[in-house]
Amino acid sequence: MMETKDKIIVKGVSFFYGRNQVLNNIHAKFAEHTITAITGPSGQGKSTLLGLFNCMWDEIPGARGSGEIRIRLGDEWVSPLKKDIPLPLLRRKVALIFQEPNPLPMSIARNMAFPLMLAGVRDKSIVAAKVQKALSQAFLWEEVKDRLEESALDLSGGQKQRLCIARALVLEPEVLLCDEPTSSLDARAAGIIEDLLVRLRSQCTLLVVSHYMDQVRRVADEVMTLQDQNLRRI
Amino acid sequence: MIHNLAEKVVLFFSWVTTLVLGLSVSIFLGYLLWKGFPSLGPKLIFGQADPLMAVLGRVRVFDGIFPAIAGTICLVGLSAGLALPVGVCSGIYLAEYAGPGMKKLLGILFDILAGIPSIVIGLFGFSLAVFLHRHFSSRVGPCLLISAVSLAVLVLPYIVRSTQRSLEELPAGIRKTALALGASKLQNIAYVLIPNALSGISSGVILAIGRCAEDTAVILLTGVVATAGIPSSLLSQYEALPFYIYYISNQYSSRAELSQGYGACLILLVICAVLFMLAYGMTKHLSYRTLYRA
Repeated sequence: MMETKDKIIVKGVSFFYGRNQVLNNIHAKFAEHTITAITGPSGQGKSTLLGLFNCMWDEIPGARGSGEIRIRLGDEWVSPLKKDIPLPLLRRKVALIFQEPNPLPMSIARNMAFPLMLAGVRDKSIVAAKVQKALSQAFLWEEVKDRLEESALDLSGGQKQRLCIARALVLEPEVLLCDEPTSSLDARAAGIIEDLLVRLRSQCTLLVVSHYMDQVRRVADEVMTLQDQNLRRI
Repeated sequence: MIHNLAEKVVLFFSWVTTLVLGLSVSIFLGYLLWKGFPSLGPKLIFGQADPLMAVLGRVRVFDGIFPAIAGTICLVGLSAGLALPVGVCSGIYLAEYAGPGMKKLLGILFDILAGIPSIVIGLFGFSLAVFLHRHFSSRVGPCLLISAVSLAVLVLPYIVRSTQRSLEELPAGIRKTALALGASKLQNIAYVLIPNALSGISSGVILAIGRCAEDTAVILLTGVVATAGIPSSLLSQYEALPFYIYYISNQYSSRAELSQGYGACLILLVICAVLFMLAYGMTKHLSYRTLYRA
């Protein structure tokens, strides 16, 4: 019987790009409302591992995985590898933050409303309320509330990354996958993002790929390292 | 030393070719203006007819190029209207949905289509007209619709390839952004990929419009005539500027008539320029409306 506090369970997962094996017989459990840092040398498959949880490998020709991944969303367990849930639905609840901030070439307001539009939420009052809530959660509301119609591309690097986090939060995800979220930012901006991630623990389960051990020590509840196709707790 | 010399030679060669190209275009346009400008005016376009009455269709223009202008605009509009949806959708299919085998096969077929001489496509159009005339209705013959279909086939490869390439050249990051936010594949294409690829797609559209406006070989065999008036229906014969320029330059009987031919060239260039600006403006507006309005 699965422990109720587990949010993600990984059993015997291997992953291949064509004939190139990247992950070999991975076993792991990730508890709810925790931050797990995943470290390891470059090129070992950390981003690939993150991508397993929301099937971002789906469009890559020759990519395939085996084994079992179970994620508890609400009261239901879903299996991304078996695709027993429509991928758009999965990705709204298991959000991914990329290494490089990637706001779309739209206004800040339009960026924030974009995931809601994709999900079919059209009521302007609901959209406005959710946008404000998400921007506040990302410590960005006060900085942008008077310039929502301006292009998101005019924000600083740190603001862009907080916007991307806010944009992911607007759909109220249960899992937040962060692929080196501060690597392209300066120390001050990175510090703000770290504080934000710690705050988000109360509403999400976070998996954070990071190369910075001091960041890992500050932020993470659990630390795992991915090396030689295997994942182990340290 | 050798690198420095080679760079200077390449730079010099680049300047010379740019100068030659610029001068050629300037001389060509200058010559057209010199020869054609004296004939420009209401008389060239409307002949003896009243311009307002002619535009309203109340009088027919016999000795002006207004019917040819109207025919050209109708032809370009219809052929672009046929080619655009098919071309853009095919380009999207090739870039986003087709497997490697299908992509290669369709790529070869579209390349072959791009290489077919326009007179052969004109012959295809004529054969289509004959087939429809024999097996469908005797009212169908070489006409505006057949010409538009033939021109659409001619320009399809430009639109397909420009759409496909524009989509394939988008950065990988922009492809993943909407997907990670819960977009379906179709939503990603419609809301992110196409708006970001519009500038590349529009270049193919502009090329296609230019080709539709200037091609003479296709329309020679598929419905254009010297005297038909304003197109009255899709199944009617029509006049067109490229054909007017062709037959006036072959059969002019005075300098004034030849000058009218040059004038028609200038008007055709202006029409193409206006259509290009319209296409460019529409894609910019579409991009703005899609991306920047919250």
